[in-house]
Amino acid sequence: MKLTEAWHMSRIPYREAVYRSLAQERGQMWWGAFGRRRLDKEGESDVELTKRALRIAKFDKLIVAAFCVAASAMPFTPMYFGSHTFGLVSSISLSLAITFGFTVLYAIQTLSSFISAESSVLLFTLPLPKEDFSRITLFSFIRSLDYLVVGSILSQVALVAYVAASPMAVPFMFVFSAMNSVFAVAIALWFSRLFYRSLSRGGRSKGRTLQRLVFILMWGSLLLGVSLLLSIPWYIVPLLEKALFSLDQISSLLLCLAYPFAAGITISSIVNPGAALSGALVASIAMAGYVVLTCIAGRWTLETVKHISRGTTVKLARVRAEDFSIRPRSPLLGCIVKDLRISSRNPATAFFFALPVLETVIVSLLIANYQVLRVSVILVATTTGGIFALLMPLALLSAEGPGLEYMKTLPLNAPQIILSKALVSTATYAPVPLTLLGLALMKHLTSPVAILIPYVTILAIASASIFEIRLFLGSATTGKIAALVHDLKKLVTGVTIIVIPEVAYGISYFVSSNHAFAVSAMGGIALVELATAFYLLKRS
Amino acid sequence: MSSPLIVASGLFKQFGSVQALAGLNLQIMSGEVYGLLGPNGAGKTTAIKIITGLIESTSGTVNVAGFDPVRNSVEVKSRIGYMAESPILYESLSPRDFLEFVASVRKIDRRSADKIVTQLAEAFDIAQYFDSPIATLSMGMKQKVAFIASLVHQPPILLLDEPLNGLDAKSSRIVKDLVSLHANRGGAVLFSTHIMEVAEHICTRIGIIYQGKVIAEGTLDQLRNKAGSKSETLEEVFLKLTNEETEVADTTKILGEAIFNR
Repeated sequence: MKLTEAWHMSRIPYREAVYRSLAQERGQMWWGAFGRRRLDKEGESDVELTKRALRIAKFDKLIVAAFCVAASAMPFTPMYFGSHTFGLVSSISLSLAITFGFTVLYAIQTLSSFISAESSVLLFTLPLPKEDFSRITLFSFIRSLDYLVVGSILSQVALVAYVAASPMAVPFMFVFSAMNSVFAVAIALWFSRLFYRSLSRGGRSKGRTLQRLVFILMWGSLLLGVSLLLSIPWYIVPLLEKALFSLDQISSLLLCLAYPFAAGITISSIVNPGAALSGALVASIAMAGYVVLTCIAGRWTLETVKHISRGTTVKLARVRAEDFSIRPRSPLLGCIVKDLRISSRNPATAFFFALPVLETVIVSLLIANYQVLRVSVILVATTTGGIFALLMPLALLSAEGPGLEYMKTLPLNAPQIILSKALVSTATYAPVPLTLLGLALMKHLTSPVAILIPYVTILAIASASIFEIRLFLGSATTGKIAALVHDLKKLVTGVTIIVIPEVAYGISYFVSSNHAFAVSAMGGIALVELATAFYLLKRS
Repeated sequence: MSSPLIVASGLFKQFGSVQALAGLNLQIMSGEVYGLLGPNGAGKTTAIKIITGLIESTSGTVNVAGFDPVRNSVEVKSRIGYMAESPILYESLSPRDFLEFVASVRKIDRRSADKIVTQLAEAFDIAQYFDSPIATLSMGMKQKVAFIASLVHQPPILLLDEPLNGLDAKSSRIVKDLVSLHANRGGAVLFSTHIMEVAEHICTRIGIIYQGKVIAEGTLDQLRNKAGSKSETLEEVFLKLTNEETEVADTTKILGEAIFNR
């Protein structure tokens, strides 16, 4: 089979993998729930679903690639303010780290359905030699990451060409950027295989449960890692610059050996041949080692893809149940436990469990630079945490997948479904008031009463979650753009509900100059919101 | 047999330009296994979904155990055990997690839930799969889990849409026997199937649905009479009543000549 034919045929398993990961799960990606259109005919839903899955996949690939390109450019901005040599080292290193994180995060989500080999099954019945199967599977694998990898390599090469203005540095950057992508894809493939195997095996032992928990946290920390990487240019680059200037010999050697700093130092030494020759030599030797490692990682990736094409990548080992005992709970708790289980076992939504950690880090970072804990800072930290918590309802609804059809057959009413999801989303906000309380014990407060603000906001977040879920479960609209706007309105509604009590606080304080009165007014408004939410919930 | 547990009158359902149901009427008494037979697209699944309250009819009325499935959906759903044509379950949950959720929502106490789940799981031999994600199970295994979930609350009414799909011989026999036993104990069963032998074997009454309405109804003998012959099998009766007998013979002849005459 010609390569062009294989490339053309690779669209079939690629589309199937996309369909399986997105459509079959009714939008596994958390933003998949957006743009839901009202369907009049049952038969049409599958056609629409397939089209939507492919549309989401393309949109998804483009958005992530564009975001990755933008993020990979960010570390180069501090170069305008710092030393040219060291600025280039840290910019290249951090840019490689960011694209690495993004590629792993994205690939991990898209490759989980690819690993199962089910997407290639429909080709098995065709009279094709094994080599052609492998080639087709490899191409479909490339298709799922093409925009992201090509985009990040091109952007990094172009940026280095621009800032370094050295023709010698460009081919090196191209090689290092490509190596970076190979590493990231290999790691994502390894994690996806591990995640799929771990989830597929099931089992009820404590060891297995712990293993699954570790995977969920790993997923979460991945998102956390990316978000921290995004803030690196502004928080860490200055610190890194400082560290590089004041290095002793051992730490300098370690830095020259460590990836991706070795890549940055090697290119920097090409651009500035006179600077730190010994360090450049060590970094170059280290990079040669990384080239060998990349070859091994690349080969392993190709072998794994080959195994996927033959359906031998994951061997399922089932654990025989010792007993059939089950533990029924109350209907509300049953729904909460089910929601937590399904969303934690879905690779695309599992990382939402890192939201509390993410919120804590963001709140701490926001406040770390202030000596006095001002009310304005508390308000900003509270709103940020609240907005993060509002992402949870959408994730919970997306994770339902086709199971939502089954839930409709159970004697559950809408308020029970809404309440269970609203409780989970509200719970994800819990670390914010706790972190603020902790920080308030260490820092001065402009007003002690102000520490109640994040606690009063719990009521607003509960109301916002109820409104948001109620709106998402309720109306759908016709037309793609209309559906998207309609769904965005729901998120805006949630944010507005959180902001209204804070605005009430601001107005009350402006009028009375009394924090206690302002907090009481805020509490009153939040209570009214909650009462309205419960009234509407009862009427659902 | 005594009071009707399911009554559907004049059901119409329109999906865009497609008329799925065109005035369907049926009545199922307690102690009855009512077999719903029909060609693909005749409206069997739509009828069952309307009775369950999963979709609303365009017009007509439904009454399940004295309740309207749309207005009193919780009351209806707590009285029925429903099994969909293709088992749509929570794929990432294991059968244990899934049954735990179902038992929680149906407010079943632990002892009763344990007893019924253990007995059914042992009967269906699913120990090896009980803690594996449902996504990794075969179609037959998923059917077994769905069947256990439909019985866990011991409902008076069973709505089973092609429940034998993918089941092995032993499990298929268990399902058929349990269905008959359920009816003998006063329950009502609506059983949709394509397998004529199954309908012939377990259904006390059969309704033949064609183009959205029940065109013939009764015991097998009553249907034979209606078709005008006493010795024919249900399959032949079915083809005769749906006017597909001649069409099937002609199609087979044409296809045979096209495919096998080399």
